[in-house]
Amino acid sequence: MRIIKLLAHLFVPHESNNQKAKILHPSGLLVLAFLAISFQLILNIFPKTFPRVLGYAASISPSEVVRLTNEKRAQNGLLPLTENSVLSSAAIAKGNDMLAKDYWAHFAPDGTSPWNFFVNFGYKYRYAGENLARDFSNASSAVDAWMASSTHKENILNANYKEVGIGVVEGDLAGVDTTIIVQFFGTPQNAAAAIPAAQAKETSTTLPTPKPVTKAAVQKIQPTPTVEPVSSLTPTPAPTQVPMGSLISPFTSTKNLSLAIVGILLLVLSVDLIVVRRKRIARIGGRTLAHIAFFGMILAVILILKAGEVI
Amino acid sequence: MPHYLSLFGILMAGFAGLVLFSYDKSFQTVVAIATATAYVFWGIVHHYLHKDLHLEIFAEYLAVSVLGLVILFSLILR
Repeated sequence: MRIIKLLAHLFVPHESNNQKAKILHPSGLLVLAFLAISFQLILNIFPKTFPRVLGYAASISPSEVVRLTNEKRAQNGLLPLTENSVLSSAAIAKGNDMLAKDYWAHFAPDGTSPWNFFVNFGYKYRYAGENLARDFSNASSAVDAWMASSTHKENILNANYKEVGIGVVEGDLAGVDTTIIVQFFGTPQNAAAAIPAAQAKETSTTLPTPKPVTKAAVQKIQPTPTVEPVSSLTPTPAPTQVPMGSLISPFTSTKNLSLAIVGILLLVLSVDLIVVRRKRIARIGGRTLAHIAFFGMILAVILILKAGEVI
Repeated sequence: MPHYLSLFGILMAGFAGLVLFSYDKSFQTVVAIATATAYVFWGIVHHYLHKDLHLEIFAEYLAVSVLGLVILFSLILR
């Protein structure tokens, strides 16, 4: 009986709660906000105590990324890119470098540029570009996110690029298991002469023009400690996805909690709207319909937002 | 009714901004703050015009928008 009274007090307009569900009072709403913040704090602290529990389980095939990229190019009347194993190896090295040095950017904290990886693996380029993505559950959503961003789309639909290499790596980034997709675009220096000379392009900012690399120079270049070089003559096997096991996705768990909070609020607000109208209760308070519209918009955003980030 | 049309416009603009710029987290953050702030202002103006603006009502709109903002931030910045 006490539980029923408590539930009525929390969720239904009643004399005990001044004809407004306690959860809809400013104090009740702020308690929910506090709960949501506490959950985020726990998610941030959790990896330090229990490593390799949180993460984004993904099964992304590099060849699928290439196929989807070429599909987008074909839709725009462009020639397909050829998958290049040297570029793929360089892309994997870039991904591993991000995990080893714990950064999520085009440039490493020590200043290592994406083009260093091209050069280290002996890929002499006329044009070069890089797209990065993380925390996507499949190749399609990653490519769609790149296409939604004008700068990344520009790379995918750049007619100057002839080859592509995809690196999919999985590992610990800032305490959370993460799947990173590195997409390297390139055009070899010995490609068709019809291609006009131009600067190498990066996804969001203009990068310095890559210096021409001579054969002698390539032979002298020593790879950075975190990069495992391979001979440009020896194709590397296609990168394989590391099995991730059962991981708790921070994004999905946050999404589920958000859905639960907003769902309960919408239900309580709807009950409030009906009860107040039926009983013709006069009270001082905000407009229930307006709150329903506001939380309805938030519910729509929660349902549409997907995990994943591109740079 | 015109009040609710303006509210609908605010919320639709916020929704469109958050969805269309899903690749730009900083822009999404700004859109979320702008939408939540606009909602509080809508509440103030709406109740002021209805001559029933009270501190409790302002606190309610503020609490609703803070909760909405916390939920959006937890997803955008996750």
